[in-house]
Amino acid sequence: MTGAIQESGGSTAKGQEGVVEAHGLTRAYRRGAEQIHALKGIDLGIQPGEFVGIVGHSGAGKTTLLNLVGLMDRPTEGRLTVLGYDVARRGVRLDALRRRNIGFVFQEFYLMPSLTALENVLLPRMWGGGNGLKGRARELLERVGLAHRMTHRPGELSGGEMQRVAVARSLVNNPRLLLADEPTGNLDTKTRDDIFYLLADLNRGSGLTVVVATHDLGLESRFSRVIRLEDGNVVG
Amino acid sequence: MTWFYLAFKNLIRRPTRSLLTILGVAIAIAVLYSLFEFQKGYQSRLKGELGALGAHVMVVPKGCPYEAATIALHGGKWPRYMDEGLLAKVKANPGVAEAAGVIMDAVFAEGNENVILLGIDRDYMGLRPAWRINGSWFRSDSSVIMGSTAAQEAGVKPGDIWVVPEKNVPLRVAGVLGRTNAQDDGFVFLPRKTLQRISGLEGKLVVILIKARQVDKTADLVASLKASEVDMNVFPLSELLGTIGQLMASTRVFVSAIILIAVILGGVGVLNTVLMAVFERTREIGMMKAMGGSRPDVFKLVWAETILTTVAGGVTGVAIALVSSRLVETIIRGMIPYAPRGSLIGLSLPTLVACVLLSLTLGLVAGFYPAFRAASVKPVEAIKAG
Repeated sequence: MTGAIQESGGSTAKGQEGVVEAHGLTRAYRRGAEQIHALKGIDLGIQPGEFVGIVGHSGAGKTTLLNLVGLMDRPTEGRLTVLGYDVARRGVRLDALRRRNIGFVFQEFYLMPSLTALENVLLPRMWGGGNGLKGRARELLERVGLAHRMTHRPGELSGGEMQRVAVARSLVNNPRLLLADEPTGNLDTKTRDDIFYLLADLNRGSGLTVVVATHDLGLESRFSRVIRLEDGNVVG
Repeated sequence: MTWFYLAFKNLIRRPTRSLLTILGVAIAIAVLYSLFEFQKGYQSRLKGELGALGAHVMVVPKGCPYEAATIALHGGKWPRYMDEGLLAKVKANPGVAEAAGVIMDAVFAEGNENVILLGIDRDYMGLRPAWRINGSWFRSDSSVIMGSTAAQEAGVKPGDIWVVPEKNVPLRVAGVLGRTNAQDDGFVFLPRKTLQRISGLEGKLVVILIKARQVDKTADLVASLKASEVDMNVFPLSELLGTIGQLMASTRVFVSAIILIAVILGGVGVLNTVLMAVFERTREIGMMKAMGGSRPDVFKLVWAETILTTVAGGVTGVAIALVSSRLVETIIRGMIPYAPRGSLIGLSLPTLVACVLLSLTLGLVAGFYPAFRAASVKPVEAIKAG
């Protein structure tokens, strides 16, 4: 039912506050009269600076776990603390927490087609009411290797370039935790590796905690730690 | 990057749909602007025309008073006449300060130009103290005074010979009026007896214009004139203004209802379009929320898109109204019994501001529900929905 993640090869410093702490984490959905348990009371912890892979087949509960950790959803049961905030507690403004602390990268890039790469990167700044920061957005695009594509619109970019823009966008608010849900699912092998190296580089270079959900078992060896999910349970 | 910039970028993603929605609002606003301005211009021009008559009371033969008013104001041929002898009776009334009898006729010049002929006497000057005549008053029965526009169109100056079209009667131009910016500019003035003779209307008048001795006792004057003579219509010009105004007001209710329906339909069109766009963009909205967009953020964005659409529609509508003002005027003029001369629909800042404010309100109302729906999108469900 539960998985003792710390024991499965984590590279965390003992005594340091966890980025994610989950105990008996359960998420159930109702589909008609049927109750579906996407997560079945799992325990896990993720420490600052880790590069964690959540691996499992389709329907294992990877996205559900990422949504909970990414403060887009609340658990049905159990306790979940993200960056020191008790997510299950009512009254906690998840959107504000998410905006300030968490970056997202999805399989679909979700770039605004009418905005340039630079404007897409700046978009999350607008939600926070902070405008500008063009310098930081430019710096991020340079970092993901798109210095020459800043004024291009998504329609003029390749799949890999679009995902790079999405990665840069996820970093513009200077998050403490980066979550990526199947970030390479739509890409060819070469581009997949490029994106993966980029995420790993972000983790190594700035100590950013990165959590990647993937069904690609061939990527397991590249993470500093792997959480295996199967049918809503942690299995390794 | 600002909210409105992002909203604008969203709108141009589907240019055809956005343009059609803007056009829907624009048509409603164009109708509103045109009719509102027409009514305003109508009242103002009518007042101006009546004021230019220089009279307080009008006496015309029995018949439709609006038709009579049109003839009196714009000139023309009207097959109803009064006996000239009435003029002396009117002048004898102690309440009358000035009175002038006028006979009118209309002839066609070359090029099918309508030339309005007014037969007047010295008494007419009592109503036109501001007239400046370049030349002189009639020197003989065979002379003529031309309005400034009429002289320009005929290409004559004082001393020239002008031949009355259709009648082939040569008259010497005694004088040309200085510009009055009123209907007199387009008229040709002949001695009353001369016009009566060449038109075969000896002893006849079309209208008697009266200036009251005491303006506040105009009603008494009208009553006493009516009592003295039954074979004519006597009405104060203020009453004419009121009556025509009432006629216009009665149509205003109907017209306002049509405008209201057009505006509501425009609003429903906007609501439908924005709501469709929200449904289509559910995943994108979910993403925005995943990136930290709060409920108010998403609400503001969708609201901004709606407001941009309706305000663009409002401004376009006013532009359409101004560009098509001639056409609209021609159509409306064809539907109503009397309309003053000159352009009635013009650029009016207060009306423009009112139209833009209305389109803004329309955006605020029509955008509320779609914005609420968008704000209610849960990121998890939106992303799962894909």
